[in-house]
Order: sequence, then C-alpha cells, then structure tokens
Amino acid sequence: MKRSTMKHPAEAQMALFAGGDLGRWERWRVARHLARCSECQHEVQALRDAGTQLRELSAEMPELPNNLSWSRLSQEITGNIRVGLAAGEAIALFDKPAPSKPRLGWNAALVILGATLVFGIAFWTSLPPQQAEHLLASLKRIRTERIGNVIHSAAATPEEAVVEASPAGIQVKENGRTLSLMQPRSDGATVSVSMQGSAGVRFVDADTGQVTTNKVYYAEQ
Amino acid sequence: MRSSSVLLASALALLPWNGVVSAAALPKIDFPADSPVDLISADYGESNESARGGALLLDFHAALSLRNASQRKIRGITLLVSAQDVTPGGKGSVTITSLDVGPQETFPVRIDLRLLRPLQASSSVPVQIGLDGVLFDDLSFYGPDKLSSRRTMTLSEWEARRDRRYFKSVLASGGPERLRQEMLESLTHEADRPSLDVQVVRGGRATNFEPEKQLQFAFLRLPDSPVEPVDGMARIAGNEARAPRLEVKNRSDRAIRYLEVGWIVHDQAGREFLAGSVPAELNLAPGQQSRIFENATLKFPQLGAQPLAIESMTGFVSSVEFADGTLWIPTRGDLGSPQLQRVMAPSDEEQRLAQIYRKKGLTALVAELNKFQP
Repeated sequence: MKRSTMKHPAEAQMALFAGGDLGRWERWRVARHLARCSECQHEVQALRDAGTQLRELSAEMPELPNNLSWSRLSQEITGNIRVGLAAGEAIALFDKPAPSKPRLGWNAALVILGATLVFGIAFWTSLPPQQAEHLLASLKRIRTERIGNVIHSAAATPEEAVVEASPAGIQVKENGRTLSLMQPRSDGATVSVSMQGSAGVRFVDADTGQVTTNKVYYAEQ
Repeated sequence: MRSSSVLLASALALLPWNGVVSAAALPKIDFPADSPVDLISADYGESNESARGGALLLDFHAALSLRNASQRKIRGITLLVSAQDVTPGGKGSVTITSLDVGPQETFPVRIDLRLLRPLQASSSVPVQIGLDGVLFDDLSFYGPDKLSSRRTMTLSEWEARRDRRYFKSVLASGGPERLRQEMLESLTHEADRPSLDVQVVRGGRATNFEPEKQLQFAFLRLPDSPVEPVDGMARIAGNEARAPRLEVKNRSDRAIRYLEVGWIVHDQAGREFLAGSVPAELNLAPGQQSRIFENATLKFPQLGAQPLAIESMTGFVSSVEFADGTLWIPTRGDLGSPQLQRVMAPSDEEQRLAQIYRKKGLTALVAELNKFQP
C-alpha cells in the first residue's frame, strides 16, 4: 500500500509504542497498522534500536548528584511527552472538521424546501391581482433601494409640516402641534388645496347665509 | 415617597378634564387704527379647553360683530389667525365673500378654531386675530395682504359678477321657472360632486413604498384662456403625486404675473376629482413660455375604504392675473364642458344663491339678484 494514501501513526505514537509506553487501545491500533505497513515496522524497529543504544550508554555514564538517576529522568521525560500528546489531542478536537451530516439531514431540507415552494405558489395564486402587483412592486423597491433607505424615507419626520383638508375641517400640523379651523353647521363644504402649501374649505354658513372660506397655510420660518 | 408623588401628579395630568378658557387665554383681536372695519363685540361663549393625555386642546368659538366704518360697500373681508406659540410656520385665515355691507352696517364673522399643544407650553395669549384685507365694491382694497387675500377676494368677486349676470340673463330669457331649474341643477351638482381628503407636504418627501413613475398631464384647453399649457408631468407613487412641472405659454398680448392651473386626477376605478391647484407667481411677457415647478407632495389618504391609486391627470388653466391687475377666469361656457362640470364646484356666489333658493324660495332669490346692479 502506498504511503501517500495510507494513514500512518504519528512519530510520537510510534516512539511511545517502541518504548512500550502506549495505552492498551492505542497500542492495539498501532500494532494493527504495523502488521500491514512495513515502512512503519522499520521505523519502530529503528526507534527500539536507538532506545537500546541509549540504555547501554546510560549505564556507562557517571553517577548523577543528589539522588538523581537516569532512569528517573527518563520516566519524567516520558511523562512530559504523554502530557504533551494528551494536550495535542484535546486541541485537535477543535480543529477537526465537523462530522459529515447523516443523509437524513439532506432529505429533511429537501422536504422543507418543497413545502415552502408549494406554500409560496398557493399564496401567490390566491392573492387578488392588485395586491399581488403591489407586493411585487414593494419587493422590487426593497431590492433596488435597499431596505434601510426605504425605511428611512417611509416615515414622515415629526418636524415635517403637513397641511390637511377634509370636509370636516382643515389643519396645519407642525412638530406635533395642530392649528385647525372647523366649520360650523354648514351647507355644501368644498375642499381645495394648493401646491404652495395651503388648504381651504368653503361653505355657506347655515345661520348667516354667508359664503365663508377657511384656509390654513404653512410657510417655513 | 417622592417618586410616588411624581407618579400621582403624572397620572392626574393624564386624566381628561374640561374647563372654560380663561380670559388671559382668549384670542387677542387687533385691527389697525385706520381700519375700514370696527370690532363691535366678540363673544367666546362656547370656548373651552380640555386635556388630552399630555396635550391641551383649546376650542375657540368666536362670534365677532364688525361694522363697516368706511364710505364704500364691503364685498369681502379676510381675517388672519395665527398662533405663534403653537405653529410658528402655520397660519389660518377666515374669508367671507359675496358680502353686500353698506357704510355703518354691521355683519357677523364666526371663527371656529382648535389648537392642540403640549400641556407644558407657555400660557401666554395663544391666538392673535388681525385684518389681512377688505375688498370694496369698486374692487379697491385695504390691508396688509400677507395672505394674497386681495387676489383671492377679487377673483371671487369676478366670479360672483359673472354668475349673477348669467342667472339674470336666465331669468330674463326663460322666466322664473327656468331660473328654478338652474338652481335645482346646481344643488344636484353640488350634492353629487365627488370630494376627498387631501394632504399637502412641502418638500415632496416620499412616504410610501410604491414604485414611482412619471406621468404626463393631459390638458383641457379652454378657448378663451390667455395661457396655453404646453407640457407637464408629475411623479406618481400610488396615492401620492409629487413635484408637478408645467410648461405654459402666454398667448395674450399682455404680460401675466400670476396664474393657477387646476389639477384633476383620475383613479384606477375610473373616478375623477379636482385634486388641487398649482399656483405660480411669474413674469410672463406676451408670447413667452415659462416653466412652473412646485416641490410639494399631494397625498390622498383614503377614499372610502380603499386608498386612491392615481391613473392619469388632467390640467386646465383656472385663473390668470395680468400685470395691470386685471383678471381672467373661465366663462360659464368653459365651465359647461363635461369634464369640468363633473369635478368643479360651483362658485361662491352660485352656492350662496342656490342656498337662498333652497331656504327662502324663488321670490327671495329673484329679489337677491335684483339687489345688484349689472
């Protein structure tokens, strides 16, 4: 089997395996791999040879001071390597790609998409033509002008002065304050507005018979 | 303890209450010393104020009695109503036209005004009533004319004279029965004429989500009009019409200083309304062409249960003022065109005469017509 396509144990794992320091489960996994991978077998064998040579050398080394021994240092180093490996495995959990979703997830998504399409078509066909046109126009406008702009222009600012005329009366609204001219009991009120910012209502006063025209104006100060 | 007192006070302030307007809060009426009208009395009998949440609602019902202190007959009067503390940019006016008030005669003026302002606002005199102008039977004028009331009242007087002439000719040619028929037609037309609520917002800001489109004006060309509308368009979005632009040409041999274009809108349901007018102060020499632009928005909030959707527009020249002060208004024949007849209101005078007929009968109407010289 080619090395490029086979997943090999890490070097540190092989080193620990060679020294007999791997846990039972890991040891079984590495041994299982070595049974199929001659390349790793050679590497493990090389590590074992190096360990043997090291032990021989340590025997020839002079005594260490203050009750230190080579075997104790070796144990400490091995312990540190284990701690490092454990930490590495813990960190690797965060870097691993999310496990692929089971096939059922795709199926659910397709079902939801289908239901949405069916609902959308049913909703659209049930709309009266005028409302459908209105909705389409509104969506187009949102798309072309961005929703932020539309909201910005949609609301009249409180500072905006509005002149209003209805048969009930006329008024000018400014900063939330209102000046209205109402007509009394009257006959035939006629409403009119001018684009220069005025609104009027004309009526014949039922009591006096006079033709009265009430008007409100707005002119910026 | 302190916070609960504040809460209690706030709650009390929000409770509705009614009261009589104090003398200090009553409108201040101020006429110039050389005014041709005198104030005889002012009655504010039914005026009251009431709290509406955090706002104060002031209802003024003023019944003024004025006297003609001049030596000429008064045909019209305009009073200016302002409330500087409430709406600094907003003003109101009350105009009475078709008057026939001789020297030293008195006449009534009613003003029904409503103000809505915050409770905390200053308690100074909220309303001032002044004189903007008086029009006499020789068409001379007195007053500061801040609201262009001279032009408004003169136009109304021209229309009154035109209509009195017309009804007198009807009476002369067709007798009282023909006049009765004319009055009945006028009353029916007034009752059937469609009307709608309208808002005007200066600046023409968009307030709905509808896509905007440019719509061309169609024009109703009146044969005698000294001004010819050449071109025009406005931006339409649903029930809003914005920023009308018009191109007009002076086809008379006199310079023009003011004109007004009436604006008829047609909705998708096939209904039509006189929506408003586009006035313009300009200096238009004979043969010259000029552009009129108003940066304002007309809104038609609702028509019954459904908002109005504008489909098309028609414009027509409704009045012209020449540089020499003379005026042009459409003739009775012009107003007889089917489209104008459907949407135009009768003139002030025609409405007044029709009400005299309705309330007092044909004899009183004939007597009223005969009061005025041709």
